[in-house]
Amino acid sequence: MSVRAAIRRLFGIALTLIAVSVGMFWASASYARHAVAERNQQASPFAAFPVFFNPRPVGVRDISTDAVRAIAHGGKEAIPARLALARLGGAALPYVLPALDSLDPRSRERVALALTPIAVRMEVATREELADGSQAVLFWTRFWQDRAIDFRTASVRHLTSRLAERSIALRREDLIHVDTFALPALIDALGRADKVETFDDVARVQRLNSVLAHITELPVFCPPGASVDDARQVVDTWLDFWELHGSEYMALDGPRRLAAAFVETQYGKWLAAVLRGGLGRTKNGERALDLVTQGLTTTSFLLFVGLGGGFPLGVVWTRFERRGHRPLTRLASAVAGTALAAVPCATFVRLLSGATAGLVSAICIVTITTAAWVSRHLARSTMSQSVSPIAAAFSVSAPLGATYPPFVLSAIVLVELMFRLPGLGRTAALSLASGDVNAWMAASLSLASASLLLRHAADLLRPRGGAAQSGIASAS
Amino acid sequence: MNEPLSPKRRLALAAAGAALLVVLATVLAPLSPQLQTYARGLAFAVLAGLSIMAVAFLVALPLGALAASGPRVIDWALRFACDLVGSLPTVFVAAVFWAGTRSISSFVCSLGVLRGLEQAWLLRCEIVRLEAEDPDAAPRSLGRTPLVAFLRRRMSAALGPLFVSASFSVAWLTALDAAVSQAGLRPPGAPTTWGVLLGAPDPSPIPALLAAGSVAWLTVALHALFRPPSAA
Repeated sequence: MSVRAAIRRLFGIALTLIAVSVGMFWASASYARHAVAERNQQASPFAAFPVFFNPRPVGVRDISTDAVRAIAHGGKEAIPARLALARLGGAALPYVLPALDSLDPRSRERVALALTPIAVRMEVATREELADGSQAVLFWTRFWQDRAIDFRTASVRHLTSRLAERSIALRREDLIHVDTFALPALIDALGRADKVETFDDVARVQRLNSVLAHITELPVFCPPGASVDDARQVVDTWLDFWELHGSEYMALDGPRRLAAAFVETQYGKWLAAVLRGGLGRTKNGERALDLVTQGLTTTSFLLFVGLGGGFPLGVVWTRFERRGHRPLTRLASAVAGTALAAVPCATFVRLLSGATAGLVSAICIVTITTAAWVSRHLARSTMSQSVSPIAAAFSVSAPLGATYPPFVLSAIVLVELMFRLPGLGRTAALSLASGDVNAWMAASLSLASASLLLRHAADLLRPRGGAAQSGIASAS
Repeated sequence: MNEPLSPKRRLALAAAGAALLVVLATVLAPLSPQLQTYARGLAFAVLAGLSIMAVAFLVALPLGALAASGPRVIDWALRFACDLVGSLPTVFVAAVFWAGTRSISSFVCSLGVLRGLEQAWLLRCEIVRLEAEDPDAAPRSLGRTPLVAFLRRRMSAALGPLFVSASFSVAWLTALDAAVSQAGLRPPGAPTTWGVLLGAPDPSPIPALLAAGSVAWLTVALHALFRPPSAA
């Protein structure tokens, strides 16, 4: 195979894997939707997002404008709007406070009063000081005249980097005074969890966590004696929070809005988690990559031992069947081969030996199933009477590429489930059932990669004649 | 198996094998609820297996022939589609189809299409292989040679692997069903099938063994039925 053909094949594999990931994500989202509806299963935190395309992504400007309109109008709709505005906090102020002047006096007072929880959290006023509507309006008008200059990204980033470097109470207060406006800078300053390595890093996480927990009012703790692992967990918690709610605290303008149409989706969130490293985290908080590493040993062992043992056994079986002259022997061999290739033979073993039969039984089942499958295809092939392993490989390369990977991987999933083996198939099945998207995607993408490699390996075995070569090459 | 049997005799033998199972199921069904489940599962396995085979053939035969000997774009599209659907263990695709389809017939048809895509690629590869081995054959000759000649010479010789694959349809369906049940991915309102018996956490031995034996029996019957004349 030329270098060009190899590059083209690798590009094809990569393209297929991307398409497979889209297909599998659609599958999991589709399955989760039905599972939630029929079994009252817990929905994914990202279930509220569209799956692949978000035609109307919302940022802080959109949410705060809607909230101000609802609060100004009053009535029942104002209650959730007040809560939303309080949650958005300082990030909404650059959009809410300049808009106060455009409201009528009554609506202006309603909106100003709705901002009271933010003022208390920012430690710039008490509830008593803002008890009256007109007082609240006056306070916020003066606040914006004095402090609008603080609500600038560059100055907040500077404050955050100084807090990350060294602890000074005044810096913490400065950040609390801009409230959630500082969230993007604070999350950036946390960095990635795997970058937390020393006790200096732990101290940095503690300082940043203290501000983050205050402004979001979330109960995330990083106590004084925290270890590196504790600090990493805290970082992961904040990154998960930001993944889910980040866009709500940022203005989506221009290219960012365009990007948000793809990023603010379930698939975009999963992809972001993958790019963050470790293939994202499962519902149990484990790294999905660790789950794959654990399961890969069992599944690849089953796959390669099953294929390595099953293929020669299938060739020997076919030779025996072709050279046997007694019709009864040939009949018995054909019936046994066909029956054993039927995957539910796993059930026989389980019924006879129980679920504790373990890895050895599973390997035997996959090997025998593969051998029976190969022998049935060889028995029907048009090759000569002398069955050599190379001729056999050529002869079954087409069915090997087309039907063997899904067949054997389904068989592996079945035996892993029946014998409770910690393989990728079982992990994928259980995570699909429980709606754990990251675990499902990690396990099933690994299985898909194995399947693609098998298909392409079988494709390389395929005999290439002169006349048909051009046609085959073009399809490859 | 060694003696050449006419297609009619093979069909009669396969039908007799299935009929024997139906009689057995009818006799056993009243004895216990599990055996009743076995009898219902048999009806599902036979009907669904035959439907899957029929849909798969309908998809595979024209698509495989076109991909092997027709326009190259069909070959490329089939390859890409097969890479996509073949990259996943079929268990998961089946689970999603089952949850997503509204009726059991549409679920079975979806599985048939899935199977048909795999078999179309199988047929395509076999035709290409035969063309490569035949010095007189021109590649991508569909449309240039008479269709009847193409079907008689090329297609009849290329159907072997397709038939082998088709004979495993009932086993394939039951294995999927058992794995989907075992994984807890079975929809709540699904009909009674052998998957319930084989994939249950603690299966009852006799009905489960009967179901597994019946799968093997039906597969052997189909394998014998689909024996091409060249192998006889």
